[in-house]
Parts: sequence; structure tokens; C-alpha cells
Amino acid sequence: MIEIRNVSHGYAGSDGNYVFQALANVSLTVAAGTFVSFLGPSGCGKTTLLRIADGLLAPSEGEVWIDGKRVTGPAPDRAMVFQEFNLLPWRTARGNVEFPLEMQGVGRAQRAERASRALSRVGLEGFAAFYPHQLSGGMKQRVGLARALGVGPSYLFMDEPFGALDPQIREMMQIELMKLWDNDRKTVIFVTHSVDEAVFLSDRVVMFGTSPGRVVADLAIDLPRPRWEDDEAIKTSAKFIQYRNDIWRLLKQQLSGMGTV
Amino acid sequence: MSERAAASLPAKQPGRRPGALLRWWQRAGTQNVLRIGGIVLFLAAWEGSSRVGWLDPLFASSPSLILEKLISMIGDGSLWPHVAASANIAALGFGFSVLVGVPLGLAMGRSKNIRAAVEPFTTALNASPQVAFLPLLIIWLGIGIASKVALVFLGSVIIMVINTEAGVMQVDRRLVETARSFMANERQVLLKVILPSALPYIIAGMRLGVGRTLVMVVVAEIYAATKGLGYLIFQAGGLYDTAQVFVGVVVLASAGMLFNALLRWVERRMAPWQHIEAG
Repeated sequence: MIEIRNVSHGYAGSDGNYVFQALANVSLTVAAGTFVSFLGPSGCGKTTLLRIADGLLAPSEGEVWIDGKRVTGPAPDRAMVFQEFNLLPWRTARGNVEFPLEMQGVGRAQRAERASRALSRVGLEGFAAFYPHQLSGGMKQRVGLARALGVGPSYLFMDEPFGALDPQIREMMQIELMKLWDNDRKTVIFVTHSVDEAVFLSDRVVMFGTSPGRVVADLAIDLPRPRWEDDEAIKTSAKFIQYRNDIWRLLKQQLSGMGTV
Repeated sequence: MSERAAASLPAKQPGRRPGALLRWWQRAGTQNVLRIGGIVLFLAAWEGSSRVGWLDPLFASSPSLILEKLISMIGDGSLWPHVAASANIAALGFGFSVLVGVPLGLAMGRSKNIRAAVEPFTTALNASPQVAFLPLLIIWLGIGIASKVALVFLGSVIIMVINTEAGVMQVDRRLVETARSFMANERQVLLKVILPSALPYIIAGMRLGVGRTLVMVVVAEIYAATKGLGYLIFQAGGLYDTAQVFVGVVVLASAGMLFNALLRWVERRMAPWQHIEAG
């Protein structure tokens, strides 16, 4: 279980005086085994909150507790998937997947075995020896996903992981992710801009508003699983469309409130 | 899984078989043919001008005279001691410059405080003609090998520092953050992310450093030396033995090109995803 308690965060401007309030007093609890999306416009602090939860960033105020322990830095029970993949260009797909295991002192033989397993879970067993520059965007993100899964985390934090992909590849990756998730039902926090993506993947969608970043709505998504077997039926169902419209209405209220529309 | 790696082979051209010369040209590549053709043309023009008397061989020598001299100097063993003396100075000076310059550049790239403390010195050293330090180095270290190694070191270390620092500064911060999120400690970030990421810059620095090293070796050997390629060149110059001057130049240029090619090869092996030109 992830408990986010009264987290606020400000980024100091370059002159040191100006502070951009990225998050204001956010409290949130994520139950184990749920797939939660953070949805909202740019600048709503959803990525900041994810980095705070991972331990990459210390919040200005408030704290995050995971399974009864306070987050003070990155830990092996959680793993990140990044929007820009962030693969090391001098390492092969296998080398990239082995990287976190190497950092954590896992022995060579076990590293190789775990990396092979993670790569085959994302369908890249034939591409282990390829360098990132030899792979397509979708394949790079599969490597990013394998790298995170290889750690064996209880919590998977995904920061707009499909945001840099073509629309078709993006839909394929969503379905792949649903298949993977149905195997072990890890706790996932998935940051996204896309309403359809959030509704299709999630058990719950937390919507963020801007200036300052805060939670404006929290919706449970009650759609049948597995969702990957007939994704078209899910996406055209009345319930899906209802969720989608509700969320869009809330988003538009947010944007008009900001005076940007 | 319908995605494929973006590797494609050029399509086979159908049609008539081209002639032998054309096939050779295509296989060698236009640029390579032009490169070699240019050199051959230059040497032929030089040789020809010298033979018909447009150039005075006493001043300009000629490729055949230089080659003759080179072969005779290799044959009688008179070239080798000079090459060995210069190689010794170059290897020591350049080696120290890499050993000192790379860690210093890494430290400057990683720490604003270290950069603030060291940068005035590196900037000053970079802006000044390092050759001007030679008289001082001779006073401090004597006329033996130490002052010559020190001059080579001064000339080349600055390039190693600046290039390594630039390599560290360009490291993708997202990669560092990614490593951190996967539990890398400071040492692991430095060795497994920063250093490999800066490697193409470091190798580019070494390529520039080799050039600087050769210049400094020659300059150091003009003064107070009894061996070395710089000594050989200037002694021959004093005797109007232009062929021997060119022998020294050719040996130095060959060594420079050899090391440059070697470092390019290393760079391609270690950093196949990017190629940075030295300069």
C-alpha cells in the first residue's frame, strides 16, 4: 500500500526567490494490486508526485509511506519506466535489463537468467544483443519495461511510458501491458495525458488540476477484466464511453477554470 | 510483435555487369579513390617538378630522395635511436596527461566547487602558449628527459581536462536519474553512466592530445637534446639536408596518423552509437 500524506512540492526559480508550486497538499492512498492512473494536463505535478513516491525527489512538505516504511530514497521494491525510455546507449537490450541487477549486486549468472526471463516476457528474446539505436521506439520501451520487471518490484511506476510512441504502437503496448499485468497484478501507478488510455488500463483514475497541482477527482473504473482479450468491445461499451465523457467534462472544467481555453 | 529493427540491405542492382575499372571504383568508393588519387597526384607533381628543375632539390628535396634517405637511415640503424628517444618522451608525457587529465576533468564536470577552484588555472594554461614554459621547465627539471616530458604533459593535459569535462557536462541527466532510481550509488553512477557517456569526448580529446604531443616533443627536442626526431630535423635543417628533414617529418606524421586511426577504431568499437569529430 502506498500512502501519500499531505505532500507539497515547490521548485525554486533560477533567481532563488520565485517558487513554482508543483503540488499543494496532496493526500492519496493506493491499495496493493491496483492499477491507478494519474491523469491531468501538463504542469499538474503528476510526474513530480511519481518521482517523490519513487524516492528520486524529496518533497518540500509531507511524506510518502510504502508498506509501512517511509520513502527516503529509491528502493528495490519499486521500479520506474520512463517516457523517453532512458536506455544506456552503450549497452545492449540485455545489458540494459541487467543494469539495475548489477547496481543491486546480483551475481552474473543470476543476472543473465533474470534478464532473459524479463526480455522474453516482453517478447524481445530475439533482440537481447541489439543496441538501443538498432531498435524501434516500441521495442525500446519494451526494454524499459523489461528492465523494470527484471528487478521484481512490487510497485511499478510508469511515467507516460507510451507518450513517445506512434498511436498504433501505443495501443499495442497498452494491450501488452494489460496481459503482463493480469499475470501478477502488481501495484501500478501510470502517469498519462490520455483519457482513453487511463480508462482502458486502470482500476482507478486520479485526476490532477494545475496551479497549484492538486487532486481534483478520483474515479473508480469498473470495467470487466481481462480487458486485452477483446479491447474493441471494451472501448466501444457504453460504460467506457460514459467514463470517458465524465472525465473529459471534468478536464474541460479544469481548463476553462484556468482561463486557457 | 510486428515491429522490426530498422536495418535494411541495399537492393541488388539488376542489369549489365560494369567494367573492371568501374567495379573497382564502386567497391573502393568514390571518396577513397579521390583520397588516394590526390596523394598520388601531389607526389607525382613534386617528383616531376624536382626532376625537370622547376624545384631545387636542395631546398625542396623530392619524394624519391626522401624515400632513399629513409631506407638508408633504417638500414644503417641511425633512425632508430631518434625514434626511440622521441617515443619515450611522447609516451610518458601523453600517458601522464591522460592519467591526470581524465580524473581531473571528471571531478570538474561533477562538482561545481572543484570546477570553481581549478578552472582559473586550466583557462590560463589553455590560453597561454605552453611552449613558453620550456625555459622554466629546463631550469626546474634540467635538460634531461624530465623537462621534455613535462612540456608534453602541459601541452596535452589541458586538452584532456577540457574534453573530459565537456563530456561529463553533456551526460544526459535523465540517464543519471534512471540509474539512481535503480539504486546506483555515486560511484556506480560515475563509473557506469558518466564515464561511458563521456568516453567519446575523452577519445576525441586523446586524438587532439596526440597532435599536441608531437608538436611538444619536437619543440622540446630543439633545445638541449642530442637525440630525438626534433633534434634530427633541426640538425638536418642546419646542414641543408632537406631530405633528412622530411624523413623526420614523415616519421612524425605517420606516427600521428597511426595513433589517430587507432583511436578512431577504439571509438567506433566502444561508442558505436555516436561519432564525434575531434576539433
